[in-house]
Amino acid sequence: METLKNIFDFSDSPHRDLAVFGIFTLFLFLFPVLPHSSFAMATMIQFLMFSLYGMGWNTIGGYGGQVDLGKAQFAGIGAYTTAIMLIRWNIPFWVSAPTGMIFAIIWSFVIGYPLFRMKGHYFAIATIATSLVLLDVFEVWDFVGGARGLEMPLKTMPSFLYLQFRNDAYYYYVLLFLFFLGFFYINWFRKSRLGFQLRAIKDNEEVARSLGINAHWCKIKAYAIATSFVAVVGSFHACYNFNIEPEDIMSLDLSILIAMMAMIGGAGSLWGPIIGAAILIPLKSYLGSWLGGKAGLAGLDLIIYAVIIMAIAAFEPKGIWGIVEKSRRRRRK
Amino acid sequence: MASFGNEILQSIVSALLMGMVFALVALGLTIIFGVMNIVNFAHGEFLMVGMYAGLIFARGTGLDPLTALPFAGIVGFILGIVCYYGLIKFLLKGPMVAQLFGTFGLMLFLRNLALIIFGSEPRIAHHGFLVGRSFVLGGTVFEATKLMAALFSIVFFIVVSWLLKRTKTGKALTATALNPEAARFMGIPTERMNALAWGIGGATVTICGALLVNFWPVDPNIGLLFTMIAFATVALGGFGNIRGAFYAGIIIGFIIYIAPLWDAFTTLTGNASLKTIQLHSLKYTFVYLVYFLVMIFRPHGLFGIKE
Repeated sequence: METLKNIFDFSDSPHRDLAVFGIFTLFLFLFPVLPHSSFAMATMIQFLMFSLYGMGWNTIGGYGGQVDLGKAQFAGIGAYTTAIMLIRWNIPFWVSAPTGMIFAIIWSFVIGYPLFRMKGHYFAIATIATSLVLLDVFEVWDFVGGARGLEMPLKTMPSFLYLQFRNDAYYYYVLLFLFFLGFFYINWFRKSRLGFQLRAIKDNEEVARSLGINAHWCKIKAYAIATSFVAVVGSFHACYNFNIEPEDIMSLDLSILIAMMAMIGGAGSLWGPIIGAAILIPLKSYLGSWLGGKAGLAGLDLIIYAVIIMAIAAFEPKGIWGIVEKSRRRRRK
Repeated sequence: MASFGNEILQSIVSALLMGMVFALVALGLTIIFGVMNIVNFAHGEFLMVGMYAGLIFARGTGLDPLTALPFAGIVGFILGIVCYYGLIKFLLKGPMVAQLFGTFGLMLFLRNLALIIFGSEPRIAHHGFLVGRSFVLGGTVFEATKLMAALFSIVFFIVVSWLLKRTKTGKALTATALNPEAARFMGIPTERMNALAWGIGGATVTICGALLVNFWPVDPNIGLLFTMIAFATVALGGFGNIRGAFYAGIIIGFIIYIAPLWDAFTTLTGNASLKTIQLHSLKYTFVYLVYFLVMIFRPHGLFGIKE
């Protein structure tokens, strides 16, 4: 009962935030019904995917303060599990996604145990290293298709079980379901015992340890939680894109993007990853399509990204949500 | 039989020369880290800037790529100083996470700027005094470009160690590295010392880039590979340890040449069936693994002293 209450308890957020989020929720639910272009639909699906990625990263990176730049490897594990299980044994998404999640969690324990003996920069670089190792291995491993990747076989009929639809709106609603599942889970997580322990570790690990918190184990648990989010979205990615390549799903660029959603929106806050994804994803996809036709300006969207990251890192490390909170505090005074 | 032995010797020589080059790549990173305890993710991108600078200078003036070294050094020095005063100074006030992401942003920025300016196709210096030259010594081929880069690496390590140990500025830098607070009380302008560290770090790596472009094609995405190699080298040598970085660079060189060494070994012993082609595509994987393992088992590096 207590847990159930905590999941739907938003009493620490001001009413205005909840009103804004309520309107946004209404918009999310009605979006496929409203007139929209297929490009806008694709952008919205990207937005939901990346806010889920960001929420996952936020548990370890935001609440726990451990900058993880290797999340793409887990997206890859999820995507490859779904693809291989479908291709070889014809297993539906709703079975293969949890399986992929379990594989990813096992892998996260295997590398998390040594990883969390490092701190700060060393940890961040080591996460990149593990991700690149897995990427290289997948590129030479024939069982998973090597560097060419895998092609998902098409079913003759659209199928909810295998998550294959003709219309993007169905994908959208499946993802929206996952989005709210993740969102309410995070709302519970931040008030859970582990959530408080992680914040204590982030503030001062020595003090946290002296209070009897097993910092190493807490970080590993949070890492596994972050991993399960990313792996499920990775599985979804495989079904939605019909095609996975190691260079694409396990690249460092994806890891960076995942971390950026939460960092720019505001790491360690409930709304941060959603705000980050809501700003970055439309910016990326519309800028990309606008510049796509103009040869020679291919990297401009990423340059704009880079400038935003540098500005946020230099002047407001708490991200956009930090700016909002700061202006509120000023007004109260 | 003699020719098989040569094959092994050849691999060892190549590994040794490349190792020294990797050491030079890591030199700038370890200087910056030693002085101010910040990790520069854009290090490989600095190298890329140096490579392009060398290439453009050689193309623009029609001179030998070797004459581009001073130009590349100046570009790197200015780049380092500008980065320090424009970005790093602000990052130092924030938490560690901000430092990480700030230099990460710098990396993305430089990489994509290069993509817009130069396009994505790889380029290399095609002409020059050393390009394509090689000489044979006792059955082993020495590529002139690599030999030159390795010689420069040795010279740079000696010069930089001398600068840090013997000159007044170098001593001030070392003092800033040891204890910035105390250094400031002694009247050392620590801010300027930090900027100087970035300048020297940038200059060494861009000069290395200008040497590298003689035998390694440059493209805008090349940075990450060298950043990771440099991180592995610096971790292996102990963060901030300059002499350690040199030896670590050579070890990294041998690790990258595992595949040719293994090939030569299998041919030598007659076990050709043990040859694995996959080893060649995994050569950088070993570098990442080494970083990972060193950070777990020897966090202060192979030659590091526990604080």
